[in-house]
Amino acid sequence: MTISDAGPPRRRLGSGLKLKLFAYALVAPVVLLILGLVAYPFFFAIWVSFTDMVIGSAGNFVGFKNFEYLAGTATFWAAIRNTIVIVLVSDALKLVIGLGLALLVHQNLPGRGLFRSFLMLPWAMPAFVAFLTWRVLYQPIGGGINLILNQTGLYTGTVDWLGTRNTAMASVIIASVWRGFPFWFISILAALQSVPKELYEAAIVDGANTWQRFWNVTIPSILPVIIVTTLLSSIWTANGFEHVWLLTAGGPSDATMVFPVLAYFGMQTQRIGEAAAVSVYMLPVLAILVLFATSLMMRREE
Amino acid sequence: MASLAEVASAAPANAGAAARRRVLTGRLLSYAALLIAVILVLFPIYWMLATSLKLPRDILRVPSLWPSRFSLANFEKLLADGQFLLSIRNSFIVASTVTVISVIISSFAAYSMVRFRYRFRGIIGRLILFAYLTPGSLLFIPLSIVMAQLKLGNSLTGLILVYLTFSLPLSTWLLQGYFRGVPRELEEQGMIDGLTRFGALLRITLPLSAPGLAAVAIFTFTGAWNELLFALVLTTSESVRTAPLALNYLITSDVLPWGPLMAGAAISSVPLMILYFVAQRFMVAGMTEGSVKG
Repeated sequence: MTISDAGPPRRRLGSGLKLKLFAYALVAPVVLLILGLVAYPFFFAIWVSFTDMVIGSAGNFVGFKNFEYLAGTATFWAAIRNTIVIVLVSDALKLVIGLGLALLVHQNLPGRGLFRSFLMLPWAMPAFVAFLTWRVLYQPIGGGINLILNQTGLYTGTVDWLGTRNTAMASVIIASVWRGFPFWFISILAALQSVPKELYEAAIVDGANTWQRFWNVTIPSILPVIIVTTLLSSIWTANGFEHVWLLTAGGPSDATMVFPVLAYFGMQTQRIGEAAAVSVYMLPVLAILVLFATSLMMRREE
Repeated sequence: MASLAEVASAAPANAGAAARRRVLTGRLLSYAALLIAVILVLFPIYWMLATSLKLPRDILRVPSLWPSRFSLANFEKLLADGQFLLSIRNSFIVASTVTVISVIISSFAAYSMVRFRYRFRGIIGRLILFAYLTPGSLLFIPLSIVMAQLKLGNSLTGLILVYLTFSLPLSTWLLQGYFRGVPRELEEQGMIDGLTRFGALLRITLPLSAPGLAAVAIFTFTGAWNELLFALVLTTSESVRTAPLALNYLITSDVLPWGPLMAGAAISSVPLMILYFVAQRFMVAGMTEGSVKG
């Protein structure tokens, strides 16, 4: 923290105590709302996951019963596997696509501003609109994807993209990448623009070719941004509800089931304790990601 | 770029021509790749609009890339009973109220965090960041219980309160960055001229951070406009449905009414698209500075 952040108390601007009270008064509403609407529900969720609570009853402490029950269901294991697959594959694709497009747009090409605007469009659409549109695109009859495949002669059959076990997951991931890559694209583009030109000039003097400059200058310079983006994007992807809910609702037969959708189903069956346990199961991994992201973001802020 | 400079400095004429050709090919390839990416990005958006403008019976019977007959029948059907308009209105109420509340109280908090030094400031900073990263999928169950206890379940007020869980931490986090850019000397000058501390915040810091406030307002509005999970869990009656919910219930019916669904999708995109085109610069700056999810 720098000194200009918060200078020494100045007498003429009011007494120290008054100033302190003022400072606390300004921050109090946000702190109280966060404590009441985030921190309390957070710990409450953990408590609920250890009870047999159903809608309309307070519930009793049952220890790890919910967790054991869940671990005995196939759906739970499907959710683990699918959540991991979706996070790894879709974020890897978003990274590659986002980085590639950012490098292309970063060149001194005429019209690059226009390309940037167009490439940002998926992100400017509401998420629910994006995924509903993909749902319609994937329809076996009248959907745009089959139509394109048929008309170009690439494939002549009719595929029920979301309704077939083999294709459902890939279909969810493609839609999720389509909607999510602009975040990577724009973060990386901003990072590229802030790499000092002198580094490249020095590398050229040292005789580095394009590929060497990319590996030894570009990548190290944008690595911090890539790491933060990876952490944030993984957290959001792992907790994303809309992409799966609106496309497949976890089906067909759990092929795309993920944690948030499973928790929502638990909620619908009114067994709140179990539903809460689903979310709490994600907590350890999530906590690690969040802690990493928090410390990186705090450090960058300073 | 760099390769051009490299070439111009040393290469003989022959190699220069070859290098120029290489640069030209590189450009063409870049344009080709970007063009393909743009087409892939635009196609779903095109499909949404095209489907919404097709005659309902053509969508299934005469699949085509281009609507053979344009029709507003889907829009008429969607809007006929007024339910969808009501949900758009609800979305507007919720998103605008959340935005106003969130921007006001988070700008106070961010100002306090940036300008003053006090105990717990570090902890509060962390609390805000943790709150920002705490996933809604963990909170929706307890929040639905809490809202029911507060008798705010199934109400727009409840939704507004719940949406503050993601909007407040984000706004506060982003605004801290913007406020740090306002020189404190300007405030001190104002205070010597007779402004109070609070006056300095309102008359000097906030106006100077206008682009930041605009970005934060847009992100908050967008987040509230997009939200589906909390709305799904917290509301039951049709009269308090938001736009995402109204469309969600269209797809949970037995037969997907594609035409009206895409008409609703198009209508729901309009407010955000307008915001995007008006304020693209702010949004990109805010997104890259504060790492904002869409």
